[in-house]
Amino acid sequence: MIRRNLINRIFASGPLILLYYLSISEVDTNLEKLFEVFSLNSQIIIIYFWIIKRPSLMGTEHIFFAGLINDVVMGFPLGISSLSYLVACFVGNYVRNKSVNTTIASDWFTFFIALILTNLLFFSLLNNFSEVVTSYAKIGYNTFFTLFLFPVFWLLFNIYQISFLGNQDA
Amino acid sequence: MSVSRDDFSIAFRSALLQRGASQKFSILSLIIVALIIFFLDVYGFTAVKTARSFINDVVYRVTYLVSAPTRLFPNINQGIANHFNLKKENEKLKQVIERYKALDLNLEYIANENKNLKKVLDTEDVQSVSNIVLAKVLVDRNSPFLKSIIINKGSKEGIIKGMPVTQNKYLIGRIVETNYLSSRVLLLNDLNSRIPVTFDEKSTQAILTGGGTRMPTLSYLPEDYEFVEDITVFASGKDGIFNAGTPIGKTKANGEVKLFVDPNQLSFVTVNLIKPKKEVF
Repeated sequence: MIRRNLINRIFASGPLILLYYLSISEVDTNLEKLFEVFSLNSQIIIIYFWIIKRPSLMGTEHIFFAGLINDVVMGFPLGISSLSYLVACFVGNYVRNKSVNTTIASDWFTFFIALILTNLLFFSLLNNFSEVVTSYAKIGYNTFFTLFLFPVFWLLFNIYQISFLGNQDA
Repeated sequence: MSVSRDDFSIAFRSALLQRGASQKFSILSLIIVALIIFFLDVYGFTAVKTARSFINDVVYRVTYLVSAPTRLFPNINQGIANHFNLKKENEKLKQVIERYKALDLNLEYIANENKNLKKVLDTEDVQSVSNIVLAKVLVDRNSPFLKSIIINKGSKEGIIKGMPVTQNKYLIGRIVETNYLSSRVLLLNDLNSRIPVTFDEKSTQAILTGGGTRMPTLSYLPEDYEFVEDITVFASGKDGIFNAGTPIGKTKANGEVKLFVDPNQLSFVTVNLIKPKKEVF
């Protein structure tokens, strides 16, 4: 019984561990070496999906800290990623409060809104308050690929949820 | 109408202020904290700078440890590939040695000539070559927006902002952030990188501009300049930061420069402890 509880806890911590790992490790979903324009903001997808489906697995404090770690590793001003992650979290919370049942299509559409708001905040703060120069084309590619690949991640996370956490939406 | 507005405000408020069973803080409070941290960091308060420097050192070390498995797999792969390519590589290396032998013969003559010319120009105060620090690349996480690496040497070793960073005497970037035990190097292909360079027989001056892509481009060239492929580009040293004559890469027909050192394949670099002659950043 204790062992099963422990395994369940490990599976439940999976998304959070993935979020922290992607923030702190060298592993990135930015496959520029293979395809020059490809870059992906996988953290936003993870946060948005799990906030909508299982908010209990994604503490807002953890999201905040993951953002701070990401800023340190990437060399951005401290707090900027946290802010953008929290905005995604807020949109996810709002959508969850307003909707009874969600589908892949509805999640994809609301993710688009979350992603636009998140990137808008991130890059306007970066452009106005820091010396870091960013290319608008890169931002566009990043937004496009993140949005485009959301359903793939949605399916993968859904499989994980059904297989290891039980088919129970928030 | 008023009911739907109530619904909206309730959902909005709830999304901002609600705290779940495992959440100690609401999103609104965390957003406020994040904003405070952001502005404190951006406006560079000394206490925040010191704290950030400490956090950077700790996080970079943890990142290095956490990334160990991901570094191991490509190495194994590469090791197997290297084993099969050994014979081919051996032949190639023999050819390279022959070429270097030929170059070596010219080197002494050129070195003497250079020394004499410097005497003529009365510029004997060339910085000592021994004044360098060898550093290991801790983190080379690829960001679509920032091309930088983290090295394991910092202000403890005398590294300061603006110092040039090389590998095998080829320029790869400059220091943009220093912590006590680590530093961040801005690579030449980053969008924020601008370096005065010189190349070709006429000593054409230009600015090497990073575009966030693999190869930086040459800009601010003379009017109607036509690019010739395969010309070596050197740092001109006009900015007072980089050593004049540090090789960078070879030109391509479209104005891009193929760097001598692949920015994605860095493991050890050298920081030249040369104090920039003017304030950087």
